[in-house]
Amino acid sequence: MNAPLLTTLGILFPESLVRSHAFGVLAAFVAINTMVYVTLSVAKALPKIWLRDYLPRGYERAETRSIHPDGEV
Amino acid sequence: MGLLILGTAAAGAGLLWWSVSGTAHGRADPSDGLVLGVWHVLYDTEAPTLPTLAAAGGLALLFAAGVATLERRIATRARRSVDGRQLPLSPRHVMAETRGVFHGDVTLTVLVPAHNEAQGIAATLESLAAQSRAPERIIVVADNCTDDTVAIARRCGAEVIESVDNRHKKAGALNQALARILPTQGENDLVMVMDADTILDDGFLASVVRRMSDDRALMAVGGLFYGEDGSGLIGQFQRNEYTRYARDLRRRRGQVFVLTGTATVFRPRALRTVAAERGRLLPGVPGDVYDTLVLTEDNEITLALKSLGGLIVSPSDCTVVTEVMGTWRTLWAQRLRWQRGALENLGAYGLRPSTFRYWAQQLGIGYGVIALFSYLLLMVLMALSFDSWVWFPFWLGTGLIFTVERVLTVWRGGWRARLLAATLFPELVYALFLDIVYLKGILDMSLGRNAQWGNHTPAPARQEVDA
Repeated sequence: MNAPLLTTLGILFPESLVRSHAFGVLAAFVAINTMVYVTLSVAKALPKIWLRDYLPRGYERAETRSIHPDGEV
Repeated sequence: MGLLILGTAAAGAGLLWWSVSGTAHGRADPSDGLVLGVWHVLYDTEAPTLPTLAAAGGLALLFAAGVATLERRIATRARRSVDGRQLPLSPRHVMAETRGVFHGDVTLTVLVPAHNEAQGIAATLESLAAQSRAPERIIVVADNCTDDTVAIARRCGAEVIESVDNRHKKAGALNQALARILPTQGENDLVMVMDADTILDDGFLASVVRRMSDDRALMAVGGLFYGEDGSGLIGQFQRNEYTRYARDLRRRRGQVFVLTGTATVFRPRALRTVAAERGRLLPGVPGDVYDTLVLTEDNEITLALKSLGGLIVSPSDCTVVTEVMGTWRTLWAQRLRWQRGALENLGAYGLRPSTFRYWAQQLGIGYGVIALFSYLLLMVLMALSFDSWVWFPFWLGTGLIFTVERVLTVWRGGWRARLLAATLFPELVYALFLDIVYLKGILDMSLGRNAQWGNHTPAPARQEVDA
């Protein structure tokens, strides 16, 4: 069903349009943007790893943060 | 303000455009291929070169890591600050002020601002009373109600404070109630502000009490909101959006973007300090807890607390269910208000360490609008220029990656959420809708159009402050 529709619409612009320099620039611009967003998508989809969780803690709390002054440090 | 953000994003896009214009070239003719020996297909194997791919990916990672690192450094500096004048809510300063004294166990007072909420107020109050750790006081702040809200609230056992001569909607009503309540609250007598159309998930208040007991420097705990069921496709779009937002927050380990107006618990010290600092460190009317002149008071109070160095979190076990907009018209109005509110708040606060993350976010949205529209332009031009369908294997591959990401990030939302995400294009249309709202917001702001709720209220002696 798409093919006849596109055949009709294909007449709207000459096919040479996609071979023009301006179109090439637009395509390159979109390509780089798309790659930027693909990278961010992959980063978002992957599980997040907190390296610090696997390293020994390099500090100790000097005092309790509890509302009870004699609470755990 | 908005134009500044969009202009900066456009300048960035322009630079990228200029950088590719020297090397880009037009496309070659697509090739003819045979699939399974039956179908003739036209395909175009053109793909960006490997260095281009690497540069684009590297740039994205660099930008994301840069923003995250800076945000972390700013937060750490605020936590360690002892400057009680510039950062009066900084954890180290608050701890010094409360050291060695037990101010009593944590109590909970819930304020439910309500304007004609007869339909949902009973469910909200019942959800509060049914919490495993029920609040000590529940107060409905009735603002110009003409329906049965007050009677229903009293029947459910809640106290009622009715606003008097309030012309500033929710924020004004809350300010009136807080002016009466705050003077009686001790250091650990928490105040929760919760919308009348919201239901708390069980365990919310128990978690808040535990966290606030364990950390006396913690100034506010915000809820993670999920969309209620129903409203068909438009409801599902919003639920998917909220599911992703909640996932982002979990991955940030509760680091807050916005303390949601749907349900947030504050330590009284935080609210008192905000009221005291308006006109000095914060914009707004001196003495007001909530700024009555902004469109999004929850976003504003988040910026206020962050600007004062306050420690705030949105833990993953504090979840609330909130309403979704049922029509495109109401969604449009809601998002326009959010968008303009966010931009106006940023304009009022200016560029300061606590707002850096939000400026970066707005810049990201601005660039996203340009990127999405240029993508759509390319697709339309391509579809209208070829007289037969051409496949692009490389771009099909990237589309597949996007689809996987969309599905994974809403996985917790159930099969409906996954199905909608898997079809990719409907969510693209939803993103386009939100982008158009963004542009409309910027246009309205630039033309000085009033985005208030209807009638304009004359401004009291509001004081802007420089960052």
